[in-house]
Amino acid sequence: MAVDQESFVHLARPLAPNVLGFGVSNAPLTVNIQPQAVFSIVDHAVRRDDRDTQATRVIGALVGVRSEDGSEVEVRSTFAIPHTENEDQVEVDVEYQKNMLALTLKASPRETLLGWYTTSHELNSFSALIQNFFASPETGTFPHPAVHLTIGTEAGAPIETKTYISAPVAVSPERAAESCLFIEVPHKLLFTDAERGALGSVAAAADVESRSAPVVSDIENLSQALETVSDLLERVSGFVGDVLDEERDGNHALGQYLMNALSLAPKVSNLAIENDFNNHIQDVLMVSYLANTIRTQIELSQRLATAKLDEGKEAGDKKEGEGAEGGDKKNDGQRGQRGQGGKRGGRGGGAGGRGGREQREPREPRESAE
Amino acid sequence: MAEVQKDAPIKSVQVEALVVMKIVKHCSTSFPTVATGSIVGMDNNSVIEVTNTFQFPSVDVSSTDDRSDASSLAAAAPRAKANIVYQNEMIRHLKEVNVDANNVGWYTSATMGNFINMSFIENQYHYQKDNEKTVALVHDVSRSSQGALSLRAFKLSPEFMTAYKEAKFSTESLRASKLTYKDIFVELPVNVHNSHLLTSFLHQIPAPKSAEIPMPASLDDIRRDPVQIPAHPGFESLDLSIDPFLEKTCDLLLDSIESHYTDLNNHQYYQRQLTREQFKITQWQAKRKAENAARLAAKQAPLPEDEWQRLFKLPQEPSRLEGMLNARQVDQYARQVDAFTANITAKMFAVRGNLLPE
Repeated sequence: MAVDQESFVHLARPLAPNVLGFGVSNAPLTVNIQPQAVFSIVDHAVRRDDRDTQATRVIGALVGVRSEDGSEVEVRSTFAIPHTENEDQVEVDVEYQKNMLALTLKASPRETLLGWYTTSHELNSFSALIQNFFASPETGTFPHPAVHLTIGTEAGAPIETKTYISAPVAVSPERAAESCLFIEVPHKLLFTDAERGALGSVAAAADVESRSAPVVSDIENLSQALETVSDLLERVSGFVGDVLDEERDGNHALGQYLMNALSLAPKVSNLAIENDFNNHIQDVLMVSYLANTIRTQIELSQRLATAKLDEGKEAGDKKEGEGAEGGDKKNDGQRGQRGQGGKRGGRGGGAGGRGGREQREPREPRESAE
Repeated sequence: MAEVQKDAPIKSVQVEALVVMKIVKHCSTSFPTVATGSIVGMDNNSVIEVTNTFQFPSVDVSSTDDRSDASSLAAAAPRAKANIVYQNEMIRHLKEVNVDANNVGWYTSATMGNFINMSFIENQYHYQKDNEKTVALVHDVSRSSQGALSLRAFKLSPEFMTAYKEAKFSTESLRASKLTYKDIFVELPVNVHNSHLLTSFLHQIPAPKSAEIPMPASLDDIRRDPVQIPAHPGFESLDLSIDPFLEKTCDLLLDSIESHYTDLNNHQYYQRQLTREQFKITQWQAKRKAENAARLAAKQAPLPEDEWQRLFKLPQEPSRLEGMLNARQVDQYARQVDAFTANITAKMFAVRGNLLPE
């Protein structure tokens, strides 16, 4: 699943310096960004220290995995790096970056440094400086290109993401360190099925004014989903009704699509449906019933294990109290077993579970006799 | 600490979207191995705000490649010494970039709610004994795969903390403290919270469409550009195949019963042992009494009658804690089954209503 950006023409890819001998491919580079990376950058942007007014942006490092041939990178996480910037100089806490990278990689050894991000779209000579730092052989991603991700976080403007890689370019050798050519590369926001559920509840929070939403239970979630589905069906039937009433123009493609969808309904005899339905629902209810029986039994067992028994109270003697309890415990044992027997049957099928229980009952005196 | 605790008991946990995503990611990538990590944030008027998180270093078990081994190591990670150092180091670094750098607990992953075990208790105790306001977030990977996010927050109840501190889980002390398996945990409601910036970002994915959608010209047009389903509410929860989940829960339930039975056997063994010892003691006492009576008749000084305390040793009562945890676990499974049943019944009736029109 991916949220794609608009189509992209990849014209050229700059060569990394000293490409000879490293076998770096010239294939186009695709950047996949996982939502938590973006979330983390956004969080960093919110938490920036705006007491020194100069800092209009924050920077941080991108960490993730790179495919074998280096043509695809996946940004998995990020960490913030403190930096200060004013008109004529920029300072990046290199020591911090080194330590934090080591800490991050310790937690997930398979990931590597991929590049860096900043929270404004501006590309200036400081960007070039930092880019060269991240692309350098000693401290950066060399021989792979460093990825530069920008997210616009200015108020009033849409939050856009852009990714770049760079090529060295300079008018004179002494200015090489602070200049480079940024080339935009395509990127995708990628999320897996596991994250869909999480995104769902995050998105639920986005729709309300307080910006927070409780984590709902399964059944509430189901009811919300059903409501949405029935709303959507309502809309479709409204559209179809409009077309029938000749209030709107019909559309062949949509009609065909709806026909296809409708013909997906299986053709089974009513009797078979009724039968299957009853069987299944009975199984499910039986499992639930048995699970609750087990719960009650366990609860009873726990109660009895610590219950103060009357015999124990009467005879102040410790021994008798303990003895009575011992007998008690044996009863618990049977209860546990009985629950278990029922459970096993329950898995086999609803009716089997019940039969199993009944068969078991007469055997119990024998068990307690042992 | 006690005053603070009285002032504002924690009522709920507010989790930032970032934290939710990070936890989900970490837990699902390391599934089925247990994943653990630390959460940071601050407490704000009886609400714990969890604003950031980081995972604990993964334990390298490539040499043995034993999954259960990796799981147990990861489960023990929150209280491992190396990780405490790691955690402090990480928090120190996070502080420098304006993150609310107070440790507020830890998170762990679970499969179908099977997280209640000694390790969980020990971890949470480890955090909670130093700071009352720490929680354990539990992300259930299997349950989340059905569509709805399953993220729960737990802390140990104060009564349980005291009992655990003194390690008193004998029948006597449980009877006295009236502590039952239901009082082990306090579950706190979890809220997901977004920052303003994130809210506006979320409203942009998928890219907002203009109000009037152009009519498709052909069937392929629809197929080529499928409708972007919004993330909320997710339609995964409409999936009908819930049986695997029920089956898995039943298996886990069986395991629980198995361990319940083991626990009972232990106690029975203890009881038998105790009865035997006490029988011996009574015998010895009776013998000593008879002896004394004989000595009295012979005008000799009686022998002391409480020597049995030195001669016989009563067996140690096994801890009731395992049983309690197990009971809590069974309770959890049963509730889970209930929830599944509620869900599937609704869906089944919906399907029937659809296939068999009145």
